[in-house]
Amino acid sequence: MSKKLIRRKRGAVAEAKAVAATLTPRDKKTMGSIVGLADGVVNAAEKRKDPHVDIPSRTLSNVRYSPRKRILEMGNSTNRRQLFDLAQAKAYMRTMLVASGCKKLLTQGKTTSLRGMYYMLKRTIRDTKENTFDDQSECDTIIEDVEVLLASLREELHLYADKRGEMVGNIVITDKGDEIDCSRMGSGGYAIPSIVEPEVIQLDSKKCEAKFVLHVEKGTVWQRFNEDKFWKKHNCILTHGAGQPPRGVRRMLFRLHNELKLPIYCVLDNDPWGYYIYSVIKQGSINLAFESQRMAIPDVRYLGLRSRDFERCQLSDSVQIALNETDRKRAKQIAGYPWFAKKREWQREIEKMLKNDFKLEVESLISKDISYVTEEYVPVRLAEQDWLD
Amino acid sequence: MAGKRINRTKNKVSPTKRPAAAPPERKTRRGAAPSKNGDGQEHAAETDDATDDVAHAESNGEAPAAPKRRATAQSMAAKQRDISVSEFFAKNRHLLGFDNPRKALLTTVKEAVDNSLDACEEAGILPEIWVHIEATGNDRFKVGVQDSGPGILKKQIPLIFGKLLYGSKFHRLRQSRGQQGIGISAAGMYGVQTTGKPVKIISKVGANKPAHYYEIQIDTKKNEPQILNGRGEGVDIPPGKKGADAIAKHGIEWEDQPHGTRVTIELQAKFVRGRGSVDEYLEQTAIANPHVALHYKDPDGNTRDYPRSADKLPPEPKEIKPHPYGVELGRLIALLHDNPNVTVAQFLTSTFSRVSGQVARKICNTAKISTRSSTRRIGRKEADSLFQAIQATRIASPATDCISPIGEELILKGLHQVVPGEFYAAATRPPAVYRGNPFQIEVGLAYGGQAAMQYVTKELLRELIEETDARTIRQFLVHTFNGLGSDAADRILKESQLGTRQSPSGLKPKDVEKLLAAMKGVNVSEGQTMEVLRYANRVPLQFSPASCAITQTVIGTNWRSYGLSQSRGGLPKGPVTVMVHVASVWVPFTSESKEAIASYPEIQKELRLALQAVGRHLGTYVRRRLKVKQQSDRRQVFLRYLGEVATAVSEINAVDRDSLYEQLLSVAKKRTSDADMKLDERGRPIEESELELGKNVLIVDPTEAPAAINRATVATDSEVV
Repeated sequence: MSKKLIRRKRGAVAEAKAVAATLTPRDKKTMGSIVGLADGVVNAAEKRKDPHVDIPSRTLSNVRYSPRKRILEMGNSTNRRQLFDLAQAKAYMRTMLVASGCKKLLTQGKTTSLRGMYYMLKRTIRDTKENTFDDQSECDTIIEDVEVLLASLREELHLYADKRGEMVGNIVITDKGDEIDCSRMGSGGYAIPSIVEPEVIQLDSKKCEAKFVLHVEKGTVWQRFNEDKFWKKHNCILTHGAGQPPRGVRRMLFRLHNELKLPIYCVLDNDPWGYYIYSVIKQGSINLAFESQRMAIPDVRYLGLRSRDFERCQLSDSVQIALNETDRKRAKQIAGYPWFAKKREWQREIEKMLKNDFKLEVESLISKDISYVTEEYVPVRLAEQDWLD
Repeated sequence: MAGKRINRTKNKVSPTKRPAAAPPERKTRRGAAPSKNGDGQEHAAETDDATDDVAHAESNGEAPAAPKRRATAQSMAAKQRDISVSEFFAKNRHLLGFDNPRKALLTTVKEAVDNSLDACEEAGILPEIWVHIEATGNDRFKVGVQDSGPGILKKQIPLIFGKLLYGSKFHRLRQSRGQQGIGISAAGMYGVQTTGKPVKIISKVGANKPAHYYEIQIDTKKNEPQILNGRGEGVDIPPGKKGADAIAKHGIEWEDQPHGTRVTIELQAKFVRGRGSVDEYLEQTAIANPHVALHYKDPDGNTRDYPRSADKLPPEPKEIKPHPYGVELGRLIALLHDNPNVTVAQFLTSTFSRVSGQVARKICNTAKISTRSSTRRIGRKEADSLFQAIQATRIASPATDCISPIGEELILKGLHQVVPGEFYAAATRPPAVYRGNPFQIEVGLAYGGQAAMQYVTKELLRELIEETDARTIRQFLVHTFNGLGSDAADRILKESQLGTRQSPSGLKPKDVEKLLAAMKGVNVSEGQTMEVLRYANRVPLQFSPASCAITQTVIGTNWRSYGLSQSRGGLPKGPVTVMVHVASVWVPFTSESKEAIASYPEIQKELRLALQAVGRHLGTYVRRRLKVKQQSDRRQVFLRYLGEVATAVSEINAVDRDSLYEQLLSVAKKRTSDADMKLDERGRPIEESELELGKNVLIVDPTEAPAAINRATVATDSEVV
């Protein structure tokens, strides 16, 4: 078959553009890489070769800790995904489907959730009883593949995850043109959107009076702080990420830290899960190592809870939660991470928790007094500069 | 088998006592019955009542110290009398295969068909046989069997059909079917006993000769035929138009043929299908006798025709002399008695095969008997040493050209004609010898039984549904697709979600599509095990498979290496049919009932080698097919996704979707090129070009296998010549 037949119809592209919303320079770059991916298939087919894509691998073995930058970076190893391989054919097809779906979002200037994308692409393959996707999780992993493959961020692909996490404090931000005063949120908070890029949210140091950011693990703890108007008393911004913070929250913390030069302090549970949340905020996650550069905050501080708080705060025995086997294993694993390995304080911290053989939740401090954590614990830690790095 | 028949002949007299009502002039003093007759005695004794048993025990002096005698030798002698063989078998009909109504029907058909085939082959006529079973109510059936044989001379007809143990196949050491028992006369006797209707025979020896018509019943007391029609003389029907009118007028059943015999017996019976049925017997007979044309009409009015697939008669088997190794001491003594006044050397060379003068001398030397001594002088002791000497002397194996195997080509044809499949293989072993008896093993194999159903097209299915007169879809499936059991039919119906009782004519086009999808989707060979068809001298063995050497050897063979799955100690799984034929001048049966073959190591070894020969061919074919299937599966996987990939890519960069698809397709084809193989280059089917399996293998397009689809209307007209 000649090249003539397969030549791209430039006219069609132009037409598509005409219908589409105007592309931002960022969208144009993303569009370029998506089209490049498709062109690769056409070229391979013309040369009668197997079309394939090389996807950077998202595993621990391909993640490197950079001591200089103090963040996790992705290595160079890739996984080849081929169309003409029995085990990979379907995954290859899905990759192309996701790419085409993103292209559609870009040209129409719309965004959708991960679940929306799943429904966009889910259909029965013609002449079979097989579906392109059977489950959203199948689609989600392919989307992550496409992110790393195109070196584009999720928001650049016009995709967003569920929004999770709230924010309150002495700051006024601009979200899609609306001014939002985070000090006037009532009993609720400003829900941090999943896309907080400068196109959407603008930060201005002139409109920020807060001196630091306090990030807590869960909404319940955040509620305590908000009710006690902690942010008012201490002139700060209060955030939470509902467990492992989603990218929107991490990106927001990153921007607050880098653009407004605010120090970030964390109040997390004293368990391996809490340690890992801290690690993700500080160095970046293994799965999304390619985004560390724009999310990881190496200067974040760990305020509490500490293993020694049981004795220090004279908590009752009833608040202890025994460690299980997974917890112990996970703790040892975390202690071995290169970014913790050389920190003696952290090693001592984890050792102490293992020795205690129990974990403590932030809520355990309520056993002392309902507002103990906001009136006593955190102010004292901050005053004493008693934190882990 | 001849020997067994002799045993039964001698059984005319048996040590059974009769009630005193017997006429005194018939009482006879008999000598001790030969010990060989023990078999018959036992059965006879079982029918005696208890008092007779006591009397018997007493007369043997075994009674406990009971002072009072109940009978004297004289009074007992009055009860002792001769019994006729027909009386004996009338009472012991189970010995002849009439133990139950179901088996009675089969045995009747079997005796008639086997007789017909033997007669045709002996006369050198290609057999054509009509079997007609008709229900006459009250568990009664009328069985009519007609052949295209030489016909029977008028005076012989009553003897052959009305007298037990009358025939020509007694004493010959020759491969023949005549192993089935006493014969057609016993079937006639059973019929008369259970229904009171006489046996009707019509026989014709030539086109311009009159046909003889007899109605006969057996006089069990005398073992003599009784002719009922034509004032005891039978009726002659003249040839030509006049005769045809007479036949029509009297309601005699007769297919118009220049020569042949038809026997009609009405008997109490039960008609069944499946294992051990008449259907099965005829089907298996057709496989092993491809030179026979069979027309079968069952009581439900269905007709099944087995057309002839070979136009040549099998070579006539030769009669041979016994081989010394196969002779037992008793038989040796009897043979010595039969040949008085010759020298021992002469006796040995003339009576046995493979005994030359030199060998005879060697035997005599070993036995320390002079070669020139007369057979008259050989007593029991000398005979014994002669017998030992024979065993110790090396004697060449018997000539094996006396066996007439079916042949690989005809096995393939026979199997192909009857068993649906896509792959057939056959192997005929060279003749071998067990205990001085030559024998030969043949094996045929058919694979892929249900394939036809999976390849059926929508148009064909629609035609078949229109043609059928089956009342339910289930019936339609079972009758139309040979080899499809009712179990598989049920699974298909379940899959298609159609009602079991729905009539085929009421199917809507949408339902037909559902049915078709189910037929293709359901794995009907799932859980199916290998079917083993056993034959001895071309006669199907339908009972006692477990004790038969054939089944045992099939189970003992490792079929896993030939691409079938098999659990330990079981038959292999899969859509496979294996036919095994043991041809011999003397087939060693395990018992009188002649249902299973005894496990002689020599026979088992030959069986194994033959099974392995067809197994190797099967393995090559199955593996090849598996590889082709895997490759085409692979392509299927790619093809499934190519369309999606092409669409996605064209959505992104607006290339022409179809031309990209074509290009990807050609890459896919290149990657899975094994699936088409040389088919395109040479234009020949893969199997023929790629598989070099040799001559004794047949590979067919499963849809075109004649046995695959049963088309009621077409088959009868076009295929029967």
